[in-house]
Amino acid sequence: MVDLGFVLSVLLDGAKTSVIIASGALVLAIALGFMLASASFLLRSRLLDTLIAIYAETLRNIPSLIWLLLVYFGLAHVGIRLPPMPAATVGLGVIGSAVLVEVFATAFRSVAAKQGEPALALGLSHILAFRLVIVPNSWRVSLPPVGNYALALVKDTTLAAAIAAPELMFQARMLVNRTFETGLIYGLAACIYLGVAFILFRLTRLVEQAASQR
Amino acid sequence: MNGLALYLVDWGPRLFEAASLTLLLTAAGFGGAFLLGLALEAMRTSRSARLRGFVGCYVWVLRAIPLLIVLYMLYFVLPGIGLTLSPFLAGTLGLVLVHGAYLAEVLRAGMQTVEQGQWEAARALGLSRLLCLRLVVIPQAVRQMSGPLIVALISVLKDSSVCALIGVNELTLTARAIMSESFMPLHVFLFAGLFYLALGWPASLLARAVERRMNSLQGRQPRHLSTSRRPVRLAPLAR
Repeated sequence: MVDLGFVLSVLLDGAKTSVIIASGALVLAIALGFMLASASFLLRSRLLDTLIAIYAETLRNIPSLIWLLLVYFGLAHVGIRLPPMPAATVGLGVIGSAVLVEVFATAFRSVAAKQGEPALALGLSHILAFRLVIVPNSWRVSLPPVGNYALALVKDTTLAAAIAAPELMFQARMLVNRTFETGLIYGLAACIYLGVAFILFRLTRLVEQAASQR
Repeated sequence: MNGLALYLVDWGPRLFEAASLTLLLTAAGFGGAFLLGLALEAMRTSRSARLRGFVGCYVWVLRAIPLLIVLYMLYFVLPGIGLTLSPFLAGTLGLVLVHGAYLAEVLRAGMQTVEQGQWEAARALGLSRLLCLRLVVIPQAVRQMSGPLIVALISVLKDSSVCALIGVNELTLTARAIMSESFMPLHVFLFAGLFYLALGWPASLLARAVERRMNSLQGRQPRHLSTSRRPVRLAPLAR
């Protein structure tokens, strides 16, 4: 029989790594997505919009696994050697920015449709209206999709196992190779993912409620 | 550059073969998932509370756990109880189980866009429940759902790459195999990525075109029909 305490401690250690990768990727995805969406909103250049659309479509239509393998093995080939964890974080973050740029752009547009003209009528410049009116009010619109994205992101961190980042699935695999207790270990791993998803789900709800009450 | 062309001649046929397996996996996965989604949606509208509860649980759990875990369970855990699946079968089944949960949500969202009043009106005209579905609700729901369905198809295509990790010899695994022979990871994976892009991008453009057409169709309808109709919300299902 396997030592359950040991198995759990290894799995939780892996879960910690998963959460670190996911949060790093989330921050990167929000930052990049927000920057691109703001640039598209403020500059209103057709060329930039086309470039962003190509960027987003390319990233979203190729599987994340291929991107991670490209970032890890492909970049190493041209001399940029990233360790597994940064490679997974950067890879997932950049892929995520393609999802979030659309989320933010939609949110900006929907707020601007109602509050853009009033803000300009109050004498705010285009940039000030964006900063003081549109961005603060767009969070309410973009929060639910960002929450959903965060959930999908936690699931996508499993792919980092393919580039040997020591996250939950990688650790589970290692434990299975040592103990052959497939059912127990993968079952426990599934429970941990369920727990993380549940916490995230509740958290998103709480933040949404707080945002809608303001 | 000449050397690379030689490589491509060598890799091309292998990747094409692998791409056809990817397509097969996607088609089988999406087809099965659609049927499962329909079954789940039918169960959700049934009268038994237990059945409805089961569907709610199933959809929540399968959307919360990663596909990779489902695949490992099917491929590594089932043999422990005497059920050994081939990698392809395990991969297909995993895609069906996970995406069935997603498609149930897409179908529900589509059905909800058809107002309750339409049901009542159709019933009042004397149509049976089944005829009601066939003649009134489904034709309208399908129009609303076509965009999200194509998006779901693309995500099955993308998720089929995860099956590489249980040894299905599709595009991603073949690319990895070629990489370990040639030591040219950048070229191989870019090339494999182009295959996925060639499959996914047209579908994605189609989804957009369909959605745009839906919106313009809605705009042309009489006001009293279009105002209270909610568009399909894809956001909660975005992957």
